[in-house]
Amino acid sequence: MPAAARRTVRDPALAIAAAVVAALLAFFVLYPLVALLARVFLADGQLGIGLLLEVLGQPGHRAAFANSLLLATLVGVTGTALGFLFAFTAARAGLTVAWARFLDVATLLPLISPPFTTSISLIFSFGPRGLITHDLLGLKGVTIYGLSGTLAAETLTYFPIAYLTLRPVLSAMGNTLDEMAMSLGGSRRHLFRTVTLPLAVPGLANAFLLLFAASLADFATPLILAGNRFPVLPTEAYLQITGLFDLQGGAVLSFALLVPAVAVFLLQRYWVGRRQYVTVTGKAGPEGTAKGVSPAARAVLVALCLLVAAFILYLYALLIWASVVAAFGANHAFTLDHYRVIFTEGRKAIGDTLVIALLGMPLGGLYGVLVGYIVARGRFAGRQLLELAAMINYALPGTIVGIAYLIAFNDPPVALTGTALIIVACYVFRYSPTGIRATIAQLHQIDRSLEEASESLGAKGGTTFRRIVMPLILPAFFAGLGVVFIRSMTAISATIFLVSIDWTLITVRILENMTELALGPAAAFSVFVIVVVMVVTGLVNALLRRLRAGQEMPVAGMGGG
Amino acid sequence: MAADAGAPVGIRLEGVSAQFRHRVKGLVYAARDVTLAIAPGELLTLLGPSGCGKTTTLRMIAGFQEPSAGRILIGERDVTRVMASDRDIGFVFQSYALFPHLSIFENVAYGLRVRKEAAAGIARRVGAVLDLVGLAGYERQLPSQLSGGEQQRVALARAIVIRPRVLLFDEPLSNLDAKLRVQMRSEIRELQKRLGITAVYVTHDQEEAMAISDRIAVMSRGEIVQLGDAETLYRRPASTFVAEFIGRSNLLAATVESVAPGAVGVSVAGARLLLEAPGDGLGQGMAVRLVVRPEAVTLAAERPGALAATVRGRTYLGEKVEYELETAGGRLQAVIFDPPEGGTFPPGCRVAVQLPTRGLQILPETAS
Amino acid sequence: MNDTLATGAIRRIAAVLALSVAGAAAADAQTLNAYSIWPENWARPMLQEFEAASGIKVNFLRFSSGEALARVIAEKNNPRVDVLFGGPVETFAAGVKEGVFEPYKPPSFAALPARFREANGQWVAIADDPLVFMTNAKFLKEHGLKAPASWDDLLNPAYRNMLQMADARTSGTAVTRIFSVMEVNGRDEEKGFAYMKKLRQNVQLYTKSGGGGTLPVGLGQAAGGIFFIVDALDTKAKGYDVEISFPREGIGTAAEGIALLKGAKNPDAGRKLIDWATSPAMQSLFAKHKINFVPAHPDVKTEPSLAAVLKDAKIFPIDDAYAQDNRKKFVARWIAEVLP
Ligand SMILES: Nc1ncnc2c1ncn2[C@@H]1O[C@H](COP(=O)(O)OP(=O)(O)OP(=O)(O)O)[C@@H](O)[C@H]1O
Ligand SMILES: [Mg+2]
Repeated sequence: MPAAARRTVRDPALAIAAAVVAALLAFFVLYPLVALLARVFLADGQLGIGLLLEVLGQPGHRAAFANSLLLATLVGVTGTALGFLFAFTAARAGLTVAWARFLDVATLLPLISPPFTTSISLIFSFGPRGLITHDLLGLKGVTIYGLSGTLAAETLTYFPIAYLTLRPVLSAMGNTLDEMAMSLGGSRRHLFRTVTLPLAVPGLANAFLLLFAASLADFATPLILAGNRFPVLPTEAYLQITGLFDLQGGAVLSFALLVPAVAVFLLQRYWVGRRQYVTVTGKAGPEGTAKGVSPAARAVLVALCLLVAAFILYLYALLIWASVVAAFGANHAFTLDHYRVIFTEGRKAIGDTLVIALLGMPLGGLYGVLVGYIVARGRFAGRQLLELAAMINYALPGTIVGIAYLIAFNDPPVALTGTALIIVACYVFRYSPTGIRATIAQLHQIDRSLEEASESLGAKGGTTFRRIVMPLILPAFFAGLGVVFIRSMTAISATIFLVSIDWTLITVRILENMTELALGPAAAFSVFVIVVVMVVTGLVNALLRRLRAGQEMPVAGMGGG
Repeated sequence: MAADAGAPVGIRLEGVSAQFRHRVKGLVYAARDVTLAIAPGELLTLLGPSGCGKTTTLRMIAGFQEPSAGRILIGERDVTRVMASDRDIGFVFQSYALFPHLSIFENVAYGLRVRKEAAAGIARRVGAVLDLVGLAGYERQLPSQLSGGEQQRVALARAIVIRPRVLLFDEPLSNLDAKLRVQMRSEIRELQKRLGITAVYVTHDQEEAMAISDRIAVMSRGEIVQLGDAETLYRRPASTFVAEFIGRSNLLAATVESVAPGAVGVSVAGARLLLEAPGDGLGQGMAVRLVVRPEAVTLAAERPGALAATVRGRTYLGEKVEYELETAGGRLQAVIFDPPEGGTFPPGCRVAVQLPTRGLQILPETAS
Repeated sequence: MNDTLATGAIRRIAAVLALSVAGAAAADAQTLNAYSIWPENWARPMLQEFEAASGIKVNFLRFSSGEALARVIAEKNNPRVDVLFGGPVETFAAGVKEGVFEPYKPPSFAALPARFREANGQWVAIADDPLVFMTNAKFLKEHGLKAPASWDDLLNPAYRNMLQMADARTSGTAVTRIFSVMEVNGRDEEKGFAYMKKLRQNVQLYTKSGGGGTLPVGLGQAAGGIFFIVDALDTKAKGYDVEISFPREGIGTAAEGIALLKGAKNPDAGRKLIDWATSPAMQSLFAKHKINFVPAHPDVKTEPSLAAVLKDAKIFPIDDAYAQDNRKKFVARWIAEVLP
């Protein structure tokens, strides 16, 4: 049988790049995962599920599994609802530019913050002596630890993902559709029920799944807020390993997390992904006019959103306050001492984190465009598989990835634990999919003939990539690189297993500070991270705007710490 | 520049095929067993309807696509497995494919930079070629700041500045308006002759093909169905497909009545004609098609024995009149040039159709 | 960000790019790596004093005792640090079982009481740290309570859901607490666990580290808990209105240890740190840095205000052998029965 014509005469550059990427993926994604699975299913060289049954047989662990799913479902529902409220208001309530900007800032903050920030502020506000529950409302004996506190914190942290996913959907559906339905005689409520909602359903499902995954993977929030009566898998796995030195038990617990995470990923990719009526571009201004809502409803919507947004800003104000008073709750004298502390004692953590973030940034950006290019332009079998492999570490909760790395890279022949490389690799392979997707999307808009023109003029694949493709997908490159930087500054769930005496991270310091009751430095570190990340986000966005009008960093694809 | 372009080379395609995997139909041919020899310095056009495989064939010559069978030679060199970047070609795309982030100068200079030419040489040669296409002074502009025609010239300049041995065009004018198209095609033709570069040109516009080419290869369903110069294709179409694709034509159903050396007798809708034709492969009683160009038809007042027709439509266009006629053998188009004043036939009028007895192409009914 | 930070960062990037990180630290004889179980605000001034006194540079990373132990065990084949610094000796006792330490007897070894040293020198104590009850003064006043003076006082329903103390999975404080409970219950396991299960009703949160609950108690988010005296006095020193009390049945104290790791890359520097930390040289600096540890070395006097707090308290040491034999079992049982 004659072979089907290959699109291009083989270019060794692309083949070599693909081989390199495949090798990297095999080494940094598949191998650790296999090592993890081996720990779970191999006992004394025997394949079996004995260990799995033993660990999951413990009531505490079973409860953690059930709790994780319950929490993720609830966060999915409440976060999507809140996100929809915001998106609907932004798209339809005809906000002025200033108010829309206010909502944007309030929703951006949780996405770019280090973990714990919402949790810390919530504890201050809602505990037995909380500023709100006790001082303001005079309530007594309120506990924040447990399901409700965790749910509240995660909802506030992750609902912006739903907002950013749903806003373009609702905006793009546009007013034309509404006007059409209205001119056909529908009432506003009827319109909402029969037109807006059904069209938004795939978007809602998508948002739900994203939030579900984010909550499932969240490690920091439950560590602070879940308390002991509501254990969840990521924290249990962490305690199993770091507290009891039961790597195997931790591996099993993280494996239990893997099953729902993979299910959600596949659902999102192959089911919801194909049912999106409106493509999500990531950018849609507050273009709506108040056609779809009555003035009264509009007032309610706007008021609700502003209330939530104001509450988020209040939480951050509290954080800033805690960073500049001597001892929060006892001595509110103004001091910059905590900042002095983080820049002296915390200097190593800051230095290490910046080094790792700065190393990961270009590597992650490059890796993202390279994989995106290979997937979009390559024509070899297994290209889809390559893309799927590149998405794995992103889809999996950080706890799994961290434990898998710990197992895979702790002993010779590949003893990488303790190096910066392992942390950088963890971030690059975990947070590049944003860049990969952006690259693929951008390449779909660039006619292939540009590359062929370059080729016909005598350029080899490498030159074409460098001189033609790369300049054209720079926005994707910077978007990918920005996300890797932000995550390198803020993530903890995977890398908490990978820090070492030589390389530590700000987020891990924050956690230590919190457990050491050094709240001021914890707050100061958090503020520092937020400022750095905002500055970098601002710079990247400014750059993106210059490169291509109207494009912004797709922060929505960044869920999960 | 023509002076140092080197001697032109020929191109040979030997049994070249391209197959694609179709979701429903399985493996399908986009080009099938294409054999073609293009002479050095010749401009050959691939002409055919949409989807017939023109672009695929051209892309295989360029090296953007690998044939599933056959050999491609440029000059004496077998380039079948050679990458496009090593084939020494210039390609002009339908979409121009200018690099949007590079200035006009840099677009044109790109191929030279890739070849690591010295800066001074690059500046000189880019300047010269921009002069040649009439774009001197546009060096610092970006492609988006140019009109379609100007962009087309840049694409051309970019392709020829590297002095390729072969120039390939894929519908380069289809995005331009009619007037510019006519102008550009003669410029391209003139330039190609001047530079003496062997060229393959793809178009689905038969007029453009006839105007620009030395020879035309008409393609249908992945195969070359006829190869020849414009006049041969017009006068002697080898099939009803070519007859209909090149120019306008009436395909009148006829029956062979007699075959003698140099003379073939046919009957068309009851009328008898004796045609001057070789008659090879024809036999008595055979069903054939007569290829009658509209301008070959003359009309006269109705008379017995002649091929009778009713005028169904008349369009007066000044220098000519176009008629839509109905005969017992089917519809017929006629064009009468320089019609005498008041001498046209109104609709509903019965007329006698006169066909020329020389130069009519007789096609067996099967040759479609 | 200051200049040195920036240049330091650039230097480190260069180091990583040159792939020379791994070798660099180990090769330098004048540096020392340590895991500290003491919080940074105490470990740092102490280790800086050591740096000043010895000229040896100390890199350290702080972990809760469980985490530190877990790391040391995990890295047994290729230790990344030389010394395990601070933390209750029961953690060290667990380490002895895992064979992670290199015995070393510093000059002060002979002068120390038996409970402040492992017979073979696998670890040596640098301080003593009794547990205390710490309660929020305002909470006590509001509920008309006196500071708890008995273990049973903590079972008062007034404290329901308002106590915080350490999680036995990660914290040595918790383990010392569990042994204290056992001791006051005459080492009757069943009685001890029955008490802890009753106490569980009043526990709002088990914290990851020993001092994790002090701030909530200081803030009034929690009413009280069981902590090491260093953490409790530190909370008070920060200005939080808390009361410190001792149960009349008695409460345990944990010696704080130091140990050299087997396979340490910088053993000599490690020994120097142990010499210094076990000597009066370091322990007489506790007062200067407001660290309320009770010195382990008999030649160093307890700081007067600390001595005043401890004056009438009934404090007993946790028996080393008993702790070593039962730690794992008790923690497992605590997780299974008390925690849920
Ligand atoms: N990459 C491909 N995969 C599958 N089928 C293809 C591919 N490229 C071309 N084809 C098919 O091959 C056939 C010939 O395509 P080709 O582009 O050569 O046509 P064309 O003659 O240039 O048409 P047009 O005038 O419309 O440009 C078409 O049926 C097309 O669908
Ligand atoms: Mg084509």
